[in-house]
Amino acid sequence: MTRITWKIEGDRDISGEVEDGLNLMEAAIAHDVPYIYGECGGCLSCATCHVFVEPEWLEMTGPVDDVEDAMLEMTDVERRKTSRLSCQVEVSPELDGLVLHVPIPE
Amino acid sequence: MTIRHPGDDGFSNLSDHDSFIHGPPHHTFARLRREDPLAWTDGGQFKGFWSMTRYADIMEYNRNTRLLSSAQGIRIEDQSHEEYLARRTFQETDPPEHTHTRMLVGKAFSKPVIAGFEGIIRRLCEEILDQALAQKEFDAASMISRQLPMRMLGQILGIPPEDLDWLVTKGDELIANTDPEYTEHVLDKDDTEAFRLMPFRSPAGAELYRYAKRLVEDKAARGDTDGVLHLMLQPNAQGDRISDDEFRNFFCLLVAAGNDTTRYTLSAAIHALASQPELLGQLQQGQDTIWDTAADEFIRWASPTMHFRRTATADFELHGRKVREGDKVLYWFVSGNRDDSWFDRPFEIDLCRSPNRHMAFGQGGPHICLGMWLARLEIRVLLQELAMRVKSIRQSGDHEYVRSNFVGGIKRLPVRVVLK
Repeated sequence: MTRITWKIEGDRDISGEVEDGLNLMEAAIAHDVPYIYGECGGCLSCATCHVFVEPEWLEMTGPVDDVEDAMLEMTDVERRKTSRLSCQVEVSPELDGLVLHVPIPE
Repeated sequence: MTIRHPGDDGFSNLSDHDSFIHGPPHHTFARLRREDPLAWTDGGQFKGFWSMTRYADIMEYNRNTRLLSSAQGIRIEDQSHEEYLARRTFQETDPPEHTHTRMLVGKAFSKPVIAGFEGIIRRLCEEILDQALAQKEFDAASMISRQLPMRMLGQILGIPPEDLDWLVTKGDELIANTDPEYTEHVLDKDDTEAFRLMPFRSPAGAELYRYAKRLVEDKAARGDTDGVLHLMLQPNAQGDRISDDEFRNFFCLLVAAGNDTTRYTLSAAIHALASQPELLGQLQQGQDTIWDTAADEFIRWASPTMHFRRTATADFELHGRKVREGDKVLYWFVSGNRDDSWFDRPFEIDLCRSPNRHMAFGQGGPHICLGMWLARLEIRVLLQELAMRVKSIRQSGDHEYVRSNFVGGIKRLPVRVVLK
């Protein structure tokens, strides 16, 4: 199990132990994290699981491939350097303590 | 809210379009979810098929495109490979090919781009409602529901207003090709062999092809860079662009699927407001947050795309049933959206339902509706404008459904309104 924290501006943080092997979108859904919908089930078709990774953790989440890069152009809140689609990041023990910021739409 | 309609004894034949002429056979779907969640249906004119009816099963399998593929067709109809190649859109492909096309066109339909259309949509809604409501008694399906997606399509694609009615009529011929009101070539009744290489096995597809080609050429000649069409034709970051064939097939898809689904959802919503006046009161008196949730609840309620078909690429077993390679499997989203093992009180409309993880857009898989943000926005704005104007809506005659087990909903809805 790996500890993940979602920070939601102006709201409480959500932290939880997540089973390794799930992806961060599935983990967010399981913890009822708001604004993360994952509508395409993690198939890289919807861009509704966008998160900003705490900069010090960014490298640990691995590289962004071409498809994810294209889909990040379609997010509700504009992408930043720390943007990831959370369905593309698999939870593993190395990510224990990971902090994510949830983009809040206008 | 009753779930049973005349003729739906719990054993309706899902391959028969006549089983849907009073609305989806929800009593049958409820029985299947309970007793036979992967049910076999003999196909009639086509090969038989499996029906997946539980929410959890559809969610689990929808993402597994290696096992259940879109690349042999997404309707019950059997196609030869030649027919498939001639008629396919990106709906009839699997990842990674599907993802590649989506990368090219997705930006144009992304939430922030679509949000920029709110002002235009509101203006169109004002025009449409001014015209319809002035009559006090009218067919809401044709005067409201049909109008908004059609006029919005015109705005998005840069189509002259005088062409819109023709275009949507052709779209209806394609997608409602099992309802004699919409086509002279009824798929399951007439000989459509001559049209087997055309989209939806309909000659209307060829006409739409020609129209799309001319539209793009005219726009290019004028140097017109407005709208989604232009965005769609731009190369992506890798320098790839959509091919002519892809574009023409995609255009047919926009005209057909993009129109009907929002139309039927709007009709279902207006029908609900007429049948349950308290819902109109909730929209009018509720908090602003009701508008964050109401549209999705009406979309769940309507589920206008009742199923998509997949084809098994290998043998597998589920619920004691043995599915063979090559078998057709249908995801009945309309059934999943009424599954009480997932939704609390699924046969009630709860305009504040949240979260509302419905599957009307094909959620849970790569083919999730490209136009979902546009649909949500159109439905929200239309209902906002309607709720501002009317004191009450009542049905003034019987409503009628499209004859289709595929994409369907209310096609005629006589109503009488009292204005504020």
